[in-house]
Amino acid sequence: MELAIEIENLCKVYPGRTALDNVSFSVKKGSIHGFLGPNGAGKSTTMKILSGLIPKTSGKFKVNGKVGFLPEHPPVYPNMSVKDYLNFVFSIYAHTGSTNHIEEVIKKTGLDDVQNRLIGNLSKGYQQRVGIAQAIVHSPEIIILDEPTVGLDPVAIADIRALILELKNDHTILFSSHQLHDVELLCSDITLINRSKIVVSGAIDTILSNLKTNMSLKARVVTFNDELKKKLQSSFAVESVSYEKDSEHKNTILKISIQGKNDIRPELARFLSDTSIGLLEFNEERGDLEDLFKRIHE
Amino acid sequence: MMYTQKIAILAKKELRDAFSSPLIYILAGLFSLMMGWLFFNYLLQSKEMTTTTMTQGVIIPIFGNINFIFIFLCPLITMRSFAEEKKQHTLDLLLRSELTEMQIILGKFISNVLMVFFMLSLTLLFPVILAFSGYSDWGVVGSSYLGIALSVMAYTSVGLFCSSLTDNQIVASLLTFCILLGSMLLVISVNATNNYIFALMIQYMTIPFHYEGFTKGLIRSYSFVYFISFLAFFFLLTLKSLQSRKW
Repeated sequence: MELAIEIENLCKVYPGRTALDNVSFSVKKGSIHGFLGPNGAGKSTTMKILSGLIPKTSGKFKVNGKVGFLPEHPPVYPNMSVKDYLNFVFSIYAHTGSTNHIEEVIKKTGLDDVQNRLIGNLSKGYQQRVGIAQAIVHSPEIIILDEPTVGLDPVAIADIRALILELKNDHTILFSSHQLHDVELLCSDITLINRSKIVVSGAIDTILSNLKTNMSLKARVVTFNDELKKKLQSSFAVESVSYEKDSEHKNTILKISIQGKNDIRPELARFLSDTSIGLLEFNEERGDLEDLFKRIHE
Repeated sequence: MMYTQKIAILAKKELRDAFSSPLIYILAGLFSLMMGWLFFNYLLQSKEMTTTTMTQGVIIPIFGNINFIFIFLCPLITMRSFAEEKKQHTLDLLLRSELTEMQIILGKFISNVLMVFFMLSLTLLFPVILAFSGYSDWGVVGSSYLGIALSVMAYTSVGLFCSSLTDNQIVASLLTFCILLGSMLLVISVNATNNYIFALMIQYMTIPFHYEGFTKGLIRSYSFVYFISFLAFFFLLTLKSLQSRKW
């Protein structure tokens, strides 16, 4: 497996504060790698070191190829037009190359319509696109995006997500995000960092399935009582059942945790849809990144 | 070739940025208004004073004033060069690029100096007006312009350094102004000492001392040495200030 980024025991110490403590992980070539962690965990520091903005204190890292970097705040000049700006970035980053490439980047990032407008007048979503365009304008092999979707509306987030997926064909992408949903949709691998230390790193599927030991289900029913609870516990291999009245909606919320990994949802659903119970809603509470995030916080 | 090209790219971008914002025009307007008014007054005065020449009555005082006013105006022009980049988070974009720190400093320096020269060029009207009245001492005018050019280059280098220290433009301009005014006041405080050598040393350190020579038509080689080392010193400070982001 070819690696695009290798990090080994990377440390960064600011006076009186350790920002990175023996961080090690690697990014596979051609993958989208999600970098997750709460605020202040060390995501931005790692990315800044990888892009060469700040020096490391100790450790090793290897970046195999040119790096395009989008920092947390897109580094744009509000008084410049999109086209002038990209031309400028291209001319101070690339050694040689034709400017036709800039047209391509503009098209790829969906900036055709606004290329002659001043960046300062664009919406935040478009400014973020300009930021991404800036990161790829000198055709880097590796793109590092620091929270590309932060502060955008849902439509813009979906656009940026589609853009990142499109970029996957030509580039290796490492990006950090708070949008756990994004990471689940986009990434093949993730790395979790908390309090300057790597918590877990690897393929997203393995990490999620390790997390899921018990399946837990949440159901909303019209009525429920202790008698029904006993009946439920005797007929299915459930670990625990709890219910609670939702006075606002005048119904009951049921939480069921199932032992083992057997999927008994069809049977359970049939049981709950009995007229005496009256099933309204039924869904699996997934062991997703949200849980993971909460767990790190604890 | 490549080295200067990259500097030119940055300088061009800076100039375009500056001339598309109103600040430079407001400053240029204020400057030419003040200078025009002063020039008019000096002309009227010189008509009454028949014993002095045009050079002594008009050229020397007007260039003294230009120099003094640039102590106020240069900080306002240079304040944004690094402070604004920091505020817009674009300084990292420049630092990560193929440009070296020195190229960034030189690019910014050249563009800022050209902006000041643009304002200075508005005063070229004065010698033209004097020429109509038969004035012909072009040597003094030439050396005065050379002096003011070197002087504003020195001011700009101080301004760049101060701007690289902070992300607040007002702080940057005030700091520049304080350093420049301090250097001017140094020449006055020389009067306080009886030590002749010490006084000469202090005097040599100040910009006005060297500038005065130029306005009298004296082009002294040690003044060039002074200005070149002044620029080099502040470039070095700016370079260290930019590199300190990586410490």
